[in-house]
Amino acid sequence: MTTVLEVQNFTRRFGGLIAVNEVSFAVQSNEIFGLIGPNGAGKTTTFNMMSGLTPPSSGTLLYQGKNITNLKPFQIAALGMARTFQNIRLFGNLTALENVKIGQHIHSSSGVLNGVFGIGKARAEEKQILEKANELLELVGLADRASVEARNFSYGDQRRLEVARALALQPKVLLLDEPAAGMNPNEKAALSDFIRSVRERFQLTVVLIEHHVPLVMGLCDRIAVLNFGQRIALGTPAEVANDPAVIEAYLGGDD
Amino acid sequence: MDTFFSTYGFLMVQMMLQALLGLSLYFPMMAGQLSLASPGFYALGGYIAAVISTKVVVTQGMYPFHLLLLEILLGAMASGVLALLVGIPALRLKGIYLALATIAFVEILRVVSLNLDITGGAVGIFGIPQPFANPLSYALLVLPLLILVAWFAARLERSRVGRAFTAIREDELAADAMGINPTYYKVLAFVIGAMVAGGIGAISAHFLNTWNARQGTFDAAINVLAYVLIGGSRTFWGAIVGGFALTALPEILRPLGDLRLIVNGLLLVIGAIYLPQGLIRPAWLAALGKRKVALVQPKGEL
Repeated sequence: MTTVLEVQNFTRRFGGLIAVNEVSFAVQSNEIFGLIGPNGAGKTTTFNMMSGLTPPSSGTLLYQGKNITNLKPFQIAALGMARTFQNIRLFGNLTALENVKIGQHIHSSSGVLNGVFGIGKARAEEKQILEKANELLELVGLADRASVEARNFSYGDQRRLEVARALALQPKVLLLDEPAAGMNPNEKAALSDFIRSVRERFQLTVVLIEHHVPLVMGLCDRIAVLNFGQRIALGTPAEVANDPAVIEAYLGGDD
Repeated sequence: MDTFFSTYGFLMVQMMLQALLGLSLYFPMMAGQLSLASPGFYALGGYIAAVISTKVVVTQGMYPFHLLLLEILLGAMASGVLALLVGIPALRLKGIYLALATIAFVEILRVVSLNLDITGGAVGIFGIPQPFANPLSYALLVLPLLILVAWFAARLERSRVGRAFTAIREDELAADAMGINPTYYKVLAFVIGAMVAGGIGAISAHFLNTWNARQGTFDAAINVLAYVLIGGSRTFWGAIVGGFALTALPEILRPLGDLRLIVNGLLLVIGAIYLPQGLIRPAWLAALGKRKVALVQPKGEL
């Protein structure tokens, strides 16, 4: 086990509000790491800092030992970290196929002229992109609706399409922001198996934010718990579930 | 028929030139950027052609075609370089702020050209030599160029770069998170559009015989924007249809006399209200395409 991603003392202020306060954790390669906590605990802000969308006020982000704190989102994505969004950000007017094709941007290189004239590597590259896109749509079970616009998919299907698009980046680390939100119980049950199978197949490290406690407990190898912007617990699901601070955060204290 | 072409030859070429200008604005729009800078680059390309053909190379009789091609190339290159310099800071702005900045850019170029000696000041440059015998003959150059640029746009939309453009248009933040450098592709789209506008300017200078500061104005910027908005901003066909229709419309309405400008304006407003997506929509084109597929494979599932 090696550390693939390390968050050191992440702090983020929005005006007078401290959304995330001195949060640290390290994610080991090939593990499924959960980030949980009540609403407003700073989970998504932490995710946004990990993917470059929100620069941290202070703190350091190390990826494979390299400091990537100040890189832009597209640079972090190119290093092998792909993400999904809590409020689903697909390219709604584009088809499922196009969405997954766009996800392969960093693994292709043709420019304006060879793209337009179909010369050089562009032709072979397009063929490869199409094959890979179809393969990924097959994996998430949307192959039969490849030419449907993303906005016409059901909520659960949009989540799956977003995962397919993220996988198109061939990431080493996959960040999933509430992957089960809006899914029905059957879909939620299938999601755990799906995330595990994806990890095996692509040798991924998965970091996920989730509200649904049974899902997190059954799926994650380790969990970090945030509350009011601070990390209050870190450990295996069993350790975290018995932690008094966690119980207090979720059920309320005596005072 | 001969009288038809001698009467309307000028208009027909003008329609094609305006459609090309519409396309020049469509390229940045592919990447979601509302830029009104096209008339500025159009004016620059025109001045380059006008200066070369009246002050640098003095020719007798018909202006050599290869020199015209050289001017188009120079107009496009100069516009591309200027677009790169202007685009990198300007494209940090979004939406209406970018539109305002590009209008300011057009105004700056206009005022500069009014005050320089080389551009002929307020009088401009006139007596620009003709490479063709009559206005309609310009179509021999302009029509293939229109087809080439339209084909370029169509192919681009299906390429890796075009997908990056549309991803930014759809959701810039998500595109960023997918590894697409938004600044790079926005500037690239802006430069492509500027090069088209600059090249068209070089042709127009000869076609109109005279070139002055009235060529690149705020009015022109709004006209070109109307081509794309009325024609449809989601497919390159929109810019072409819009450019054709809105250039021809004042001529078609000519029998109405002074009323025609009012009717022209009214049609624009009605179009904007009732066809907010423009005349040509990708969904219609897709439906047409599907019908074709259905005809080829009657048993195929849709």
